[in-house]
Amino acid sequence: MDQRHTGGQTHPHPLREPRYPGAITLARLEEIFRDCVDFVRRTVWVGDQPGRSLTLCYLSGMVRMERISDYLLRPMAQDQTLAQCPGVVQMMERMRQGALYNLTVEERDRLDQVVFDLVSGWCVFLFPGETTVLSCFVGTEEKRSVSAPDNETVLKGAKDAFVESIRTNTSIVRRHLKAPELRIQEQTVGRQSATLVDILYIEGITNPHLVEQVAAQLRDIDIDGVFSTGAIEEYIVPAASTPFPLIQYTERSDRFCAGLAQGRVGVLIDGIPLGYLAPAALGNFLQAPQDKSSNWLLATVLTVLRYFCMFTTLLLPALYIAMVTFHQEMIPTRLALSIIAAKQNVPFRSAFEVIVLLLAFEILQEAGLRLPQSIGQTVSIIGGLVVGSAAVEAKIVSPAVLIVVAVAGIAGYTMPSQELGGALRIWRFVLVLLSSWAGLFGTVIGAAVLIVHLAGIESFGVPYLTPFAVGTGHNPREHVLLRRPMPQIKDRPSALKPRNRRKQR
Amino acid sequence: MKRVGLLVLTLMLLLTGCRRYAGILPYAREIEDMELIRTLGVDQAGEDEVAVTASGGSSQEETEVVSSRAGTISAAVLALQGEGSSYLYFGHVTQLLLGEGLARRGVMASLDYVLRDVEMRLETALYLVRDGTAARAIGAAAADGSATDRLEALADDAGLTAGSMPRTVKDVLAELDRQGASFLPAVLPDSGLTAAGYGILKDGALVGWAEGDAALGVNLIFGRVDADVVEVTALDGTRTALRVVGAATSVKPVWQGDTLTGLKVHCQVEANLAEGTAMPDEATLTALEEELACTEAGRMAQALELSRTLDADYLGLRHSAAFRTPWRKEALLGENGMAGLTLEATAQAAIQRSYHADG
Repeated sequence: MDQRHTGGQTHPHPLREPRYPGAITLARLEEIFRDCVDFVRRTVWVGDQPGRSLTLCYLSGMVRMERISDYLLRPMAQDQTLAQCPGVVQMMERMRQGALYNLTVEERDRLDQVVFDLVSGWCVFLFPGETTVLSCFVGTEEKRSVSAPDNETVLKGAKDAFVESIRTNTSIVRRHLKAPELRIQEQTVGRQSATLVDILYIEGITNPHLVEQVAAQLRDIDIDGVFSTGAIEEYIVPAASTPFPLIQYTERSDRFCAGLAQGRVGVLIDGIPLGYLAPAALGNFLQAPQDKSSNWLLATVLTVLRYFCMFTTLLLPALYIAMVTFHQEMIPTRLALSIIAAKQNVPFRSAFEVIVLLLAFEILQEAGLRLPQSIGQTVSIIGGLVVGSAAVEAKIVSPAVLIVVAVAGIAGYTMPSQELGGALRIWRFVLVLLSSWAGLFGTVIGAAVLIVHLAGIESFGVPYLTPFAVGTGHNPREHVLLRRPMPQIKDRPSALKPRNRRKQR
Repeated sequence: MKRVGLLVLTLMLLLTGCRRYAGILPYAREIEDMELIRTLGVDQAGEDEVAVTASGGSSQEETEVVSSRAGTISAAVLALQGEGSSYLYFGHVTQLLLGEGLARRGVMASLDYVLRDVEMRLETALYLVRDGTAARAIGAAAADGSATDRLEALADDAGLTAGSMPRTVKDVLAELDRQGASFLPAVLPDSGLTAAGYGILKDGALVGWAEGDAALGVNLIFGRVDADVVEVTALDGTRTALRVVGAATSVKPVWQGDTLTGLKVHCQVEANLAEGTAMPDEATLTALEEELACTEAGRMAQALELSRTLDADYLGLRHSAAFRTPWRKEALLGENGMAGLTLEATAQAAIQRSYHADG
């Protein structure tokens, strides 16, 4: 009731630190985990002496029972030296030093730590009369096995994609990057989810200011939980007022490691099978995973093709409206006659046709995504082919518009980054509206605004249009538009300001 | 929030149609409401009026011919617009036909219209209708296809037939401004729009015709001979066909002191032996080359004679000479007259190969 609303928003609610104050007692733990059916407490004898009993607490399902039985309970029952310890303190010290077979045994003196240990798959031994406890990691490792990437498939390349377990992911990275300089810093994000987020970089290569910037952004996050990628992305990306992606993600571990070796900072989030790379410029989103595996000439041609497709998906509908409605002299005569013949008896204006078809295209795409794959394909066939051809035959839309919208849509699918493709879709609508308003004049205004917008955004200090709009002072040999042969790319991208620019002999 | 609301209101205002009167933005017009005019004809109608004939349509097959007359071309075109429900769009006019009567009075008004009109293009091909009117030519062509298709075919075949080369409004306007004379291809007002040489313009009006060998001479001087066939007689009396595949012309001024007395036009002709015996011996070959050179020089001489007779530098010879001797540019371009000059045409021919399998 003490919440006062100002401007539709509630007052800030600072994080309480510590979240659970007080001494570590069984009663306090039972109070914290009240009404939790998975909270288990058990009294355990040390040796065969009922007087030497401890209390074991854990959350069922979060721990692996075999580990508790074999590594903790068995030595406690069988190790006579434990039972013969003169006091509880000595017994605790003996257990911590090696009487227990478990790899991780930590002494905890704060209730906060103990509570979060329990929810993270640790079990806790409470010693009678002591304010400290022993916490042992016996978490279950139920997880999806490492498999080939689903969305970034390549013919040549590693097949070990990231999984949901952050520790598995860091181990995959370690296997690819055996450099001892690989640093992995960890933070916990989310009041309720307490999600582990790791920052990865290679010391001596990555710009330390960049690392600090990412770490600071992560530290500033104070949210409920990390249940989606946006929970982290939107908080660590400095400029959020753009639809264009400012941080790159990949499910391919080799691509992630290549980014780290380039001097970029990686972020891994527990529970999300993706790796994030920062900073990221526009050119990064137009590179496909197989580019580095393909012949350099082929990769160059495909990259140029992707840029062409980017302009096609962005500008084609707007240019069509501009030319058909405002600047008919731009159309070759025979094409103009074909368009006129195709548009005869179509009741709608060209701009309206394009906008409606673009909307229909988006609706079809959305419907296909939300449905199961088999039904999704049916929707695409019914929506795209049946309704499309019926609309053309019924003279509701003209074939030319259908072709323009379809070509623009398909060109958009060549974007290696879905986020970039989504941003282009939004701007495509903007340009179409401007084109409907003022033809090429409006299209050029929209394109200019887009360029100004792109030129004004940065990703962790790196201009988004690097190296197109920003001179780095060096001959840019990295793969942006043209991919040179690998032996010729001797330097890391200068825009990242790496500590060591040279990457080969 | 207020700013967003203001933006939305502004955008809504733009959709109301009030912008048409703003005068800044381009005017929207749907393409399906248009009929694309592809050929435009202008004739003299009476003493004070011009007649405009337009040919086009909304499909490649369909050809409609409409015409109107008024005191000016703009007024006549406006009258055309009022005749049908569709908007006549002149942005795709690729040919402009001028009647002989109009051309004799002056073509500058017609060319000026193309220059000023927002839809017309300076790249429009320009034709003169000899012994008739543009309306008659367009009508005759429309009866058997369309004037546009016929003239496009004529332009495509210009290099092959060496009959007439296409000229654009821009070419003619530039030449009239630069040298006071120009030439443009002529067609007859029949259904096939047969090529009829060139009409020669001086001071913006038609003053003469270059036809037959003179027209071929014009093509030679401009190097537009892609596949002209010249028939000559060999030493043994057999008729031999020589296919002229290239010509390069140079113009050299002749001076007497500081006074320009004449211009020498020399053409290097390349030909192939198209028909006759296989590659002949050296003596026969030389004789064939000499005969070809003689024929081509004669053609050029006829074209040059027209220039001298009409006192019109329609071939731009003075400019070509000025390129060769730029230090005497002022003396060469100081005047446009050709009557007092000695114009000499020479040619040298080279037969490169024979089309015969043994050649």
